[in-house]
Amino acid sequence: MTKTLRWENLDTGLALLDERNVVVYANPAFATLLALETVSGRPAITSWACDLGPDTRQTLERRLCSNEAGAVTLNEQAPNPVTLYIGASRDGQRLVVGARGWPVADDCGLAAQLDPLTGIGNRLMYERHLATLCEHAVRPAVAALMIDLDRFKQVNDTLGHAAGDELLRLTADRLRKLTREDDVLIRLGGDEFLVLQTDARQPDAAHGLAQRLTEVMSRLFLIEGNSVEISASVGVAMLGHGTAALDDLLKHAALALYQAKGLGRARYCVFDPDLEARALARHQIEFDLRRALGLREFVLVYQPQNSTRDGRISGFEALLRWMQPVRGPISPAEFIPLAEEIGEIHAIGAWVIRSACFEAAGWADPTLTVAVNVSPVQFENDNIIQIVSAALKDSGLAASRLEIEVTEGVLLTESPEVLERLWSLNRMGVSIAMDDFGTGYASLSYLNSFPFSKIKIDKSFVQSEHSSRSQALISAILAIGTSLGVTTIAEGVETPDQFAAIRAIGCHSVQGYYISRPMPAEDVADYISRFDPEPFLRHAEQEQIA
Amino acid sequence: MTESLYRLVYFSRNALAGDAEAVRAEIESILECSRRNNAAANVTGALMFNGGCFAQVLEGPYGAIQVTLERIQCDARHSGLKVLAFDRRSARGFAHWSMAYVGAAANVDRFAHIAKTSAFDPSALDGEAIYDTLKANLADSALA
Ligand SMILES: Cc1cc2nc3c(=O)[nH]c(=O)nc-3n(C[C@H](O)[C@H](O)[C@H](O)COP(=O)(O)O)c2cc1C
Repeated sequence: MTKTLRWENLDTGLALLDERNVVVYANPAFATLLALETVSGRPAITSWACDLGPDTRQTLERRLCSNEAGAVTLNEQAPNPVTLYIGASRDGQRLVVGARGWPVADDCGLAAQLDPLTGIGNRLMYERHLATLCEHAVRPAVAALMIDLDRFKQVNDTLGHAAGDELLRLTADRLRKLTREDDVLIRLGGDEFLVLQTDARQPDAAHGLAQRLTEVMSRLFLIEGNSVEISASVGVAMLGHGTAALDDLLKHAALALYQAKGLGRARYCVFDPDLEARALARHQIEFDLRRALGLREFVLVYQPQNSTRDGRISGFEALLRWMQPVRGPISPAEFIPLAEEIGEIHAIGAWVIRSACFEAAGWADPTLTVAVNVSPVQFENDNIIQIVSAALKDSGLAASRLEIEVTEGVLLTESPEVLERLWSLNRMGVSIAMDDFGTGYASLSYLNSFPFSKIKIDKSFVQSEHSSRSQALISAILAIGTSLGVTTIAEGVETPDQFAAIRAIGCHSVQGYYISRPMPAEDVADYISRFDPEPFLRHAEQEQIA
Repeated sequence: MTESLYRLVYFSRNALAGDAEAVRAEIESILECSRRNNAAANVTGALMFNGGCFAQVLEGPYGAIQVTLERIQCDARHSGLKVLAFDRRSARGFAHWSMAYVGAAANVDRFAHIAKTSAFDPSALDGEAIYDTLKANLADSALA
């Protein structure tokens, strides 16, 4: 045992464990370091861990249970803590080296690049690594796999932060197992991880790893005795496969991750340049939309609504247009969903109500109504009531002349607050119309839940009025309207025939190109004064006789 | 000072393919490495295999069970792992086995109902029942 004899005199603490982690030998320096009298012949955990806190004890236990190499710093708070470097277990033997202060001395910046919770790299390591890659003369085959846990927040909320931390640690361990030695593992923050795959055959290696990652992450975790089931989404970007610059790697992986999440999670997506183009376009339009109100790029146009009985104008619907200076006019179908998503709809919607009230207050005929579309999002809080009442008060428009058009979407949540807001408007004297009836969730019970003043029959029924099915539907809607005492209006009436048919079937009013296209606000006064219902009526009557 | 002892029972679906011989060899290798690793980690237990599924009991200190399960969990040779029981115990049920094995042939009758239930709904399986069945089987084979 010449080797052992020499160990006796070393300053460095050394211990040798057998396959059951029982200490076979420890040199005097090791015993001193751990302040132990006898070390050999006892299980490492029980003899070393007696003075340790539960966390350190658990870490030590975990390191010893694993056959892989690892390190544990025993008393981190101490000024000069002892660190045990536990070698990998080979042929039933493993070496443990104990020393003081190594992590600080052997720094070379590494400690600062490690995430303390999981022991893998942090953002700084990512940046250092990227910098090294940039120095390579040949473009390296690098893939970035960004991983995000799908239900991490729930675990944190229901089982507590300690369980969340444990999940992150176990995730890092799974990443270690699935990756190769020269892959770089990073915790970007929160529940977001990154694997940088270098020197692998791409794109196959990245596809393979992403596939395996999503599969393995959906497998159960045992955390504090609970079976925890989560999943992970992965976004992949590869240099030379859609990504040209190293600097774009992370951004592209994030876009792909975003897409994977959007597609329903627990899957991976690989970045493709179209994805970036779409994201950019969306970003641009979002940027423009946020400024559009301030730059006065919105206008309202007005389309008349006419009685089928005498053809006279009963009012106008105010329709929003976005005159984007670069892209030209943009239809509401395109920008309203985006405005709803980014919350811009509140400001835009308020402007629409206010402008329409002021405009209508100036019309010569004080019986004409003005209809305004209000998004379900605007009904999410009480502001809508203040907005309407201020618009009426400031413009001087009689409440009875304002009609708020809502879609079935407003009632979809069946929230009592939303219904109460509708009632508040109703009590002010404002009428509420049900827009696009029959296209959405079309629950007849919605009609019963609130006294709507008007049902608007969607243009899709009107324009296919030759099909017997839509004929039947229109008749049914009209019958419901009559029995509930609600007036009905058909929109999208484009031809003389449609007008005649809608009139014959008993619908109260119409709106559509056949009567007039929407017109700028400044043309309304002139249109009202010149309007003659005669030709419309004459044609419809001829049609009926024929 | 003795550490708290825990017991975990799980069930999983077999993902091994190939003929009987290949499967047998694969199980052999699972057992061999289980015995090596478990002995070092102070884990004991029993593994059951009946062609369609695995059931396993692991006993040992909390940390050791967690680390071992993490390893087993990520093994592509099975899937759909469901933990049926995880609790503190006062004594080991398989103290002398770093990983005892009960194959399909060992006691077909006794496992028949487990296999039948599990084929439809693994969550209907009872950890305690599996544990008892495994123990009873080993007692029988010890007598034989
Ligand atoms: C059904 C099943 C049960 C297993 N049970 C154990 C076990 O009890 N202990 C163990 O260490 N490995 C077990 N394994 C094997 C592990 O999944 C893994 O392959 C092994 O621990 C790797 O060990 P090595 O790194 O020493 O080769 C099991 C695998 C399967 C499919």
